[in-house]
Amino acid sequence: MKKDLNLMVAGPQGSGINFTSDTFAKVMARQGYYVYTNAELFSTIKGDHSYFRVRVSDQKIESYSERVDILIPLDAKSVIIHKGEVSDDGMIISEEKVDDKRFATISYRKILESVATKFNKNVSELNVMKNTVSLAAALKIVGIESKNLKDVITENFASRKIIAEMNNAVVDEVYNEFSFNKTFSLPPVEKKKRMLINSAEAVGMGKVLAGMKFQSYYPITPASDESNYLETLMDKYGFVVEQTEDEIAAINMAIAAANTGLRSSTSTSGPGFDLMVEALSYSGMTETPVVIFYYQRAGPSTGMPTRHEQGDLKFATTASHGEFPRVILTPGDNTEAFYDAVDSFNIAEHYQLPVIVLLDKSMAMSNTTTEVFDLSGVRIDRGKLVLNETSNYKRYKLTEDGISPRTVPGVKGGIFTIAGDEHEEDGHIFSEDPDNRIIMMNKRMGKMNLILKEIGENKKVKFYGKPENKKVILSWGSPKGAIKDALESFPDISFLQVRMIEPFPSEEVMKYLKGKYVIDIEQNYSGQLADLLREKTGIVVDSRILKFNGRPMAYEELMDAIKKAQTEKKVVLSYA
Amino acid sequence: MHNTYKTNVEIDWCPGCGDFGILNALTLALQDLRIPNENVVLTGGIGCSSKIPHYVNVYALHTLHGRSLVQGEAVKMANPELEVISVSGDGDGLGIGSAHLVAAGRRNLDMTYMIFDNGVYGLTKGQASPTLPYKENIKSLETENIKFPVNPIFLALASGYTFVARSYSYNIKHLKETIERAIRHKGMALIDIMQPCVTYNNINTKEFYDKRLYDLEASGWNPVVNKGDDPSVKISQAVQRSMEWGDKIPMGVFIQYERETYAERLSTLIHGYGTRNMVKEPIDQNGKPVANIQEVMESFF
Repeated sequence: MKKDLNLMVAGPQGSGINFTSDTFAKVMARQGYYVYTNAELFSTIKGDHSYFRVRVSDQKIESYSERVDILIPLDAKSVIIHKGEVSDDGMIISEEKVDDKRFATISYRKILESVATKFNKNVSELNVMKNTVSLAAALKIVGIESKNLKDVITENFASRKIIAEMNNAVVDEVYNEFSFNKTFSLPPVEKKKRMLINSAEAVGMGKVLAGMKFQSYYPITPASDESNYLETLMDKYGFVVEQTEDEIAAINMAIAAANTGLRSSTSTSGPGFDLMVEALSYSGMTETPVVIFYYQRAGPSTGMPTRHEQGDLKFATTASHGEFPRVILTPGDNTEAFYDAVDSFNIAEHYQLPVIVLLDKSMAMSNTTTEVFDLSGVRIDRGKLVLNETSNYKRYKLTEDGISPRTVPGVKGGIFTIAGDEHEEDGHIFSEDPDNRIIMMNKRMGKMNLILKEIGENKKVKFYGKPENKKVILSWGSPKGAIKDALESFPDISFLQVRMIEPFPSEEVMKYLKGKYVIDIEQNYSGQLADLLREKTGIVVDSRILKFNGRPMAYEELMDAIKKAQTEKKVVLSYA
Repeated sequence: MHNTYKTNVEIDWCPGCGDFGILNALTLALQDLRIPNENVVLTGGIGCSSKIPHYVNVYALHTLHGRSLVQGEAVKMANPELEVISVSGDGDGLGIGSAHLVAAGRRNLDMTYMIFDNGVYGLTKGQASPTLPYKENIKSLETENIKFPVNPIFLALASGYTFVARSYSYNIKHLKETIERAIRHKGMALIDIMQPCVTYNNINTKEFYDKRLYDLEASGWNPVVNKGDDPSVKISQAVQRSMEWGDKIPMGVFIQYERETYAERLSTLIHGYGTRNMVKEPIDQNGKPVANIQEVMESFF
C-alpha cells in the first residue's frame, strides 16, 4: 500500500482556503512528492462552506482519499462538519483547547500579535494571515523545513514585498512556537521537477503548442479557467482570446475564424454547449475544422455549477439536428488532455469537421503533479489547406477520400462559397438535387469510417492490467485516476479506458470486452457509456458503479464498490 | 465596364424585389473601390437577403439565422487585412441576431453591416419582423401587428456604431455612395436599407418610400464629428433625427466619428496584432510545432 498524507482545508468560501491548500500542495510537490488535490466549492463568491483536499504520496496518486490526516478548519462550522473524517491519529489545527487528542492547539492571536509588533502594525491588519499560521503548523508537523514554505510565499507575493516578509515572519514564529506530540512522516523522496497543474492549464499549453490562434468563450464554470489562462499567454504567443456576448457568438466566431484560416476553438460547459448546438451542425455541414472543449458539470439546467459530473456523454454524441460526422475525444488526466488538445486540431483540420473534447469539473480544478510533457513526437497536420494561389477551385470538390482542398479568404483564385444549406461542389445551394444530396451525405459521413481506419488504437482505447483477467472495468474520462488507484488492490481485474467516443471504436472495444465480466464505472445516473456500448456492440455490462452526487470518487469507496460489483448489478456511490 | 463582382448563379428573388437594387449597388461600389475580389468576405444570415453572398464573386459565408454579423466580425479579427461586409435581413439582424448587433457596436471593428429592411420575414411567408410599424396590417398577416417596432438607427447609435446611415434600394446612386462611404469609414458602419418586399408587404412599398424619403444631408445635416470633438453632442442630435418617421423619412448618414477600432485595442493586449498576418504565419516547420512552451511548462514547477 502507498504511504500517503491527506490534508483538508475547510472554511467559508473566500477566506483563503485555496491559498492554504495550493501552497501546501506546491511545497510538497517541490520536495519531490506526488500530489493530487480536490476542490469542493460552493457556487458563490464569499461565505458558503467550501473545502479543499490535498493528498500527498511518495508514489504516483491520481485520486483523493476519504481519510483526513490533518484538518485546517478556518471556522467553527468546519470543525463540526469535518472532524468525523479525521483519522484517530490525525490532527486538527485549532485555536481552542478541546478535550480530544487530535486537536493541536496553537495561539493564532499570540503569533499574529508578536509579528504585528515587529512590523509596527495593528493586529487586525494581520487577520488574513491566520491561514499562514495553520499552513506553517501543518508543514512543520510533516517535517518540511520552513525555508521551503517561505520560498513559495516570497514568490506568491513577489509584487508585495512587505506582505511576503510579514507572512514569512509568521512562519518563523510558528516554527519556533508550535509543537505537537505526533508527526506525520512520509518516506523520503528524491527531488524531481514536476508541474503542478490542472487539465485547464494542460489544455491551454496544448492549444498554444498546436498553434491555436483564436479562442472565443463566454464565462461559465468550470470552463472559463482555460480561457482565462490562455489570456495570460496571448501576448507572448500572438493569438486572440475573445470574450463574446454569448455562447452562440463564441462558437460562430470560432467557426468563422477557422474558415478564415486560423486554428480556432471555444471552451464551454453544458449550458453553453446547449446554445452552441445549431452552429455545431453548421460546422459539420460546412466541413469547418472547429474545436470545442467541453467541461462537464452537474446538470440538468443550471444544476450544480461548481460540482462534478459526467452527464453529457450521450448529448455530445448526438447533439444537433441532422446527421454529420464529428469526433469526440475523452481524456482522463492532464497528460491526455494536453496531447488531445494538439490532436483535436490535427483531426479537425485533416478531416475538416468539428472535434469535441470532453472534460469535466474535477479535471479542470484538481491540481496534480504531472511529468513535463514530452514534445518530441508532437506533429502538426493541417490537412488539405491551400494558402497559395490556385485555380478552378471548388470548396466541396469530390475526392477519393471525401476531403476537399480548403482555401482561405485572401488566396487568389481560391474564392469559395460556404453554406449551411445542402450545397453542390461549388458551395452553391440552389438545386436541392436529390442525387447531389446522396453524394454529399456520403462525402461527409464517409469520414467516420476513414477516421476509424486511420486513427491508431492507442488514441481510441487504453488497456491496463493483464489481458487474461476475466473481469474488466470499463470507463472514460476522469474516473480513470480513482480506478487506477483502487485497482492496485485487484490484480485480477483489468481496466479498459475509452479515449475516443465518436466515432465509436467498436472493434477495439470488443476485442477487450468480449466474453469478460464487465464493470462499468461512470460519474452519472444511468451509465451512459454502458448504454452506448450496448448500442454499438451488443455487449451488455454486468455491473454499473455510478456516482452522481456532484463529487468525484474517492479511491476507498471505489474499492468497496468494485468488491460489490462482482456480485451486484448496480452500486451507487455517495461519499462527499 | 464589365461587373466582375457578380457571379453567374441564378438569382431566386421574386421579380421586382428590392434586393436586386442592393446587389447592384454593392457590386458597383466594390467595382468603384477596386478591392480585389479575393480580399473581400461577404457574410449573410438566413432569409431572402442573406442569399446575396451567392451572387457576389467574393469569399462568401452563408451562415446561420442571425449569425451573419458575428461571423463577419470574427473574420475581421482573424485577418484584419480583409474587407468584411456582413448582410442581414431585419429579422436576422434585429430579431434573432440582435445580441450581436449590440455587441458589435462595443467592438467597433473596421467593417460594414448592411440591413435589408422590409418589415417582414419573407422566406417564411411574410410574418411581422422587428421593424414592421405598430398596428400595420400588411396582406400576409392574419391580424394587425401588435408589437412596437425597433428603431435600427437609434439602436446602432446607442450601441456605439461609429457610422450609421439609412439608404434605399431603389435609389442605387445614393445606396452605392453610402456603401462606399461605409467601407471607407474606419470603424463599424451600419446601413439600414429600406427595401420593399413586393410579395408580402403591401404598405411599405416603392410608392410609400418614394414620396417620403428625403436626403438628410442635402437638407443641411452634417453627420461628421470633427476629430477631437466629443461625439456625444452630435450623437444626441442624431438620435433626434432618427426619430423622424411618418410623412417624411430621412435617409443619408446620421453620424460618423472616429474612435479606437477593436484592432487598435487588441494590439494593446497582443503585441504586434494587426501588423503580423496570423493566417500566413506558419505554425509548424516540416510538421513540428513552432511554438516553444518550455518556459510555460517550467512556470508550474
